[in-house]
Amino acid sequence: MELELFSGAFFSALLAIILIDLVLAGDNALIIGLVARNLPKESQNKVIFWGTFGAIAIRALMAILVVYILAVPGFMLVGGLALVWIARKLLTPQENAEENHLVKAPAASFAAAVRTIVIADAVMGIDNVLAIGGASHGSILLILIGLAISVPIIVWGSQLVIKLVDRYPSVILIGGAVLCWTAYTMIVREPMLVAWFEAHPASKLVLAVLAFSIALAPWYAERLSESMKPLTVLLPAILIWMLGFEVASSFWKVQTDYLMATTQGEYLLDGLRWIGWLPFAALFLWVRERLVLRNARLARSPQ
Amino acid sequence: MRLIHRSHRAANAVRTVSPSGELFVTSIVICMILASFGDAVDPNWIGEAGLEFAFFDFGGELSVLAMRHWNLLELLLAGSVMAAGIMVLRIVGGACFPPLDPAAPGGVEKVPIKL
Repeated sequence: MELELFSGAFFSALLAIILIDLVLAGDNALIIGLVARNLPKESQNKVIFWGTFGAIAIRALMAILVVYILAVPGFMLVGGLALVWIARKLLTPQENAEENHLVKAPAASFAAAVRTIVIADAVMGIDNVLAIGGASHGSILLILIGLAISVPIIVWGSQLVIKLVDRYPSVILIGGAVLCWTAYTMIVREPMLVAWFEAHPASKLVLAVLAFSIALAPWYAERLSESMKPLTVLLPAILIWMLGFEVASSFWKVQTDYLMATTQGEYLLDGLRWIGWLPFAALFLWVRERLVLRNARLARSPQ
Repeated sequence: MRLIHRSHRAANAVRTVSPSGELFVTSIVICMILASFGDAVDPNWIGEAGLEFAFFDFGGELSVLAMRHWNLLELLLAGSVMAAGIMVLRIVGGACFPPLDPAAPGGVEKVPIKL
């Protein structure tokens, strides 16, 4: 779908790309610093230049590739599901500063340093490029603008971004919500599922709530009391149960809508859809309660 | 490592976000879910079902409000308006109905409650 230039949808996609760039930007300066710290002074400047250049080149290559990959049937769905998980990871609180697993040790040579920087940027940028690919609706112009925004962040803008998100942490929450919204639109636009969603329009709503309930779970779990915490598991599980029946009814050509049911089996199936999850929910709550009590007992018992 | 993880406040955004910021983002998320609700209901189908149905059906209401295929800018704007409205309601409600203060533990007006 090509977006009309300078339309509301175009600027919306641009805003989504900017937000995604802000919240998913990788810390390239830190990587370069770690890699180049043991190299001679004259090599360090070359590593900074070529490392940054390589990082930008690999990001551009990935951005072009993602446009073609997302056009392949099935990848929009996979990308959407991945984005839901990325949004969830983004909102999950980090107790301690994350260790950098991409750089094990300082590089011993110029080539090794540049290679490490490029690989690290490729690994860090996968989620960013995927999200931009989804938000751009296949528009090459928007991909290029997305790159034009992410490159200055890679090179100069890190301190500015850190200051912004430190002053306004709600930017992270908006970023998470936008990622989730992008994931929902990607799944709904999946070529293999478009016809199915047209035939089952209510599933779009279930899918949207499901995506938000999974991605924003770290946020609303913080506001729930201990006794209400199981809701973070039960709500997505019930929605998946409902969606599962809708999908199954398409595959096996069975009627799960009680208004259109004609046989006893169909009425039973519909009953199962609406209340069949209750025993599983009760079992989950019982097991969880037992585990909580067991852990509390173990914590109290002398070593 | 993500850039945002260099800031403790940003890395723990779900804990450090301000109440007004949280209200703003919540309003946006609600608008996003409502927009998906609007997308799920076809206005043509509402037309076939009759106008009276559209008046009483929430999905129909959203379709009547044209809350279909909203883009991010519209959702952000609607979220801002909703958050501002809730904020005003909270302030006006707080002014009209001040919260009750509990009596001092040893006060004569304290009603002893025994189970």
